[in-house]
Amino acid sequence: MTPILADNAVHRSRTQRQSILKQIMAMPAGAIFLVFMTLQIVCIAGALLYPNEFRYLSPQNLTILMKAIPVLGCLALGAGVLMIAGEFDLSIGSVYTFTAVLMASLVGAGLSAFLAAPLGIVAGLLIGLLNGQITIRFGLPSFIVTLGGLLFWRGAVLLYNGAVQVRFDPEPAFTSLFSGTLFGINAAFIWIVLFVVGFHYLLHRHRFGNHVFATGGNRGAAEAIGINTNLVKLIAFAVAGGMAAMAGILATARVGSVQPGQGAGLELQAIAACVIGGLSLRGGRGSIIGIFLGVLLIHTITDVLLLLRAPGFYLDMFIATLIVLAAIFNHLIERRGVA
Amino acid sequence: MSNLLELHNISKSFGALTALRNLSFHIGEGEVVGLLGDNGAGKSTTVNLISGIHKPTDGYLSVDGTRTLFTCRSDSADAGIETIYQHTALVDSLSITRNIFMGRELTDRFGFLRQAEMRQIAMEVLQNAVHISGIDSPDTLVGNLSGGQKQAVAIARAVYFKKRILLLDEPTSALSVRETEALLNQVLKLKAENVSSVLVTHNIYHAYQVCDRFVIMSHGTKVFDVAKADTTINQLTEYVVLN
Repeated sequence: MTPILADNAVHRSRTQRQSILKQIMAMPAGAIFLVFMTLQIVCIAGALLYPNEFRYLSPQNLTILMKAIPVLGCLALGAGVLMIAGEFDLSIGSVYTFTAVLMASLVGAGLSAFLAAPLGIVAGLLIGLLNGQITIRFGLPSFIVTLGGLLFWRGAVLLYNGAVQVRFDPEPAFTSLFSGTLFGINAAFIWIVLFVVGFHYLLHRHRFGNHVFATGGNRGAAEAIGINTNLVKLIAFAVAGGMAAMAGILATARVGSVQPGQGAGLELQAIAACVIGGLSLRGGRGSIIGIFLGVLLIHTITDVLLLLRAPGFYLDMFIATLIVLAAIFNHLIERRGVA
Repeated sequence: MSNLLELHNISKSFGALTALRNLSFHIGEGEVVGLLGDNGAGKSTTVNLISGIHKPTDGYLSVDGTRTLFTCRSDSADAGIETIYQHTALVDSLSITRNIFMGRELTDRFGFLRQAEMRQIAMEVLQNAVHISGIDSPDTLVGNLSGGQKQAVAIARAVYFKKRILLLDEPTSALSVRETEALLNQVLKLKAENVSSVLVTHNIYHAYQVCDRFVIMSHGTKVFDVAKADTTINQLTEYVVLN
């Protein structure tokens, strides 16, 4: 028994010597949390020192941030759950536009928005299920299947409604439910916080979440233990589609109209947020908090660059750098985990 | 008294390939059986068949003398058979606790995990059932463990969900000498509690230490079935090598 105790002792003293910094880094989403907090401290300090030049803390700016975050947030949560299950969905940007156009045109035709919005979500769920069904039935990479979905639903928007914007005039109760304010906080922001909390419990505290991680982490093992991995993936695809539709509802309620080209590139931003938030491209790793921090980080950087009046291309370059750095960092963590 | 598990004239083909031919053997209550054979003898197919992953092309299984058909792994689990796989069926990115309870999570009515309870059980199983060096927390990610430690987690899982038959597929292949010793003792401890084990291995020495009976396979069928008292290591080796 003596050598066993010795092993333990060595291990424990090694852990104890780790600094608080390292402990935070070792937590899921710990690194991204540090980056986010650092950025916040710098921004808030900057805003306090130069309140007139750098209006980060002005009510207008905070409102813009709160309105911008929920749309990407919904898309990233859905895409993230699917990524943890080991699959991709590139079609969510197009699905987001398609379901929004569907909802807006139904309302235009006289249907109540409280009926049209759930119909939009059902459409999103069904498209997700279709993506999943094709991927699983034919054993294809979801990357290819949903690339097809991206083009198909983008075309479907034009077929259904032409290249014109669709006005969205719901009853006032609907508008205040999704883009009003409650205690000074934007309703859409409250929605996304609720979704983050809900998804957190679903993924990290519920049996289903455990099966999602198992499916993405080691599909063979999950199947050997009796988990229906196809069903798990199918549900994850449906969640991605449904959340894309939810993003469509929030965006449409805010703006009051749908542009046929508005979703282009959003799927990549959503995946970028997931990668920045610590999700593995191979599945099985990540956290909901990480995804949300990834979304917050993308929007904070966008916002700061806008406040500094930097030209738009800086934004793309900055996000691009962040994605690659995050991917390298995640890869190093993964390798350490396997070794 | 009927046997716990019986295989009756089982054949299994994958297309043109015949993996098992007319295989029959049984596992009694509280018995440790060594299923021996060289690579390609059909041991893994037999394991998959007993654990419900494969269905027999011909013949049938019976549990407690009742003819049964396992269509999936949970069927065999329901019948009290727990399988520990050659390539341990664990998820690297999940903690030890979550791996032990994977697919069989303790939850409340709404499916939410009872985490504290699962963690407590995992800790007890790791400390009392399998003594493995270097694991100090059930929250450790399985990916950070060594090969032997991973195997130990798989065994801990089987020990906790202790069933009537433990099916161990090459359990000692990734273990250190000390860990192997601990595992074989574990098998004997379970036997004292009337749990049967099937040790599927080509390490005859490990099998000889703990098994009551040996079933030797070659080319997909049984070539020798003998109690420990009636044989020697040399004879077993001859059967494995020569057939």
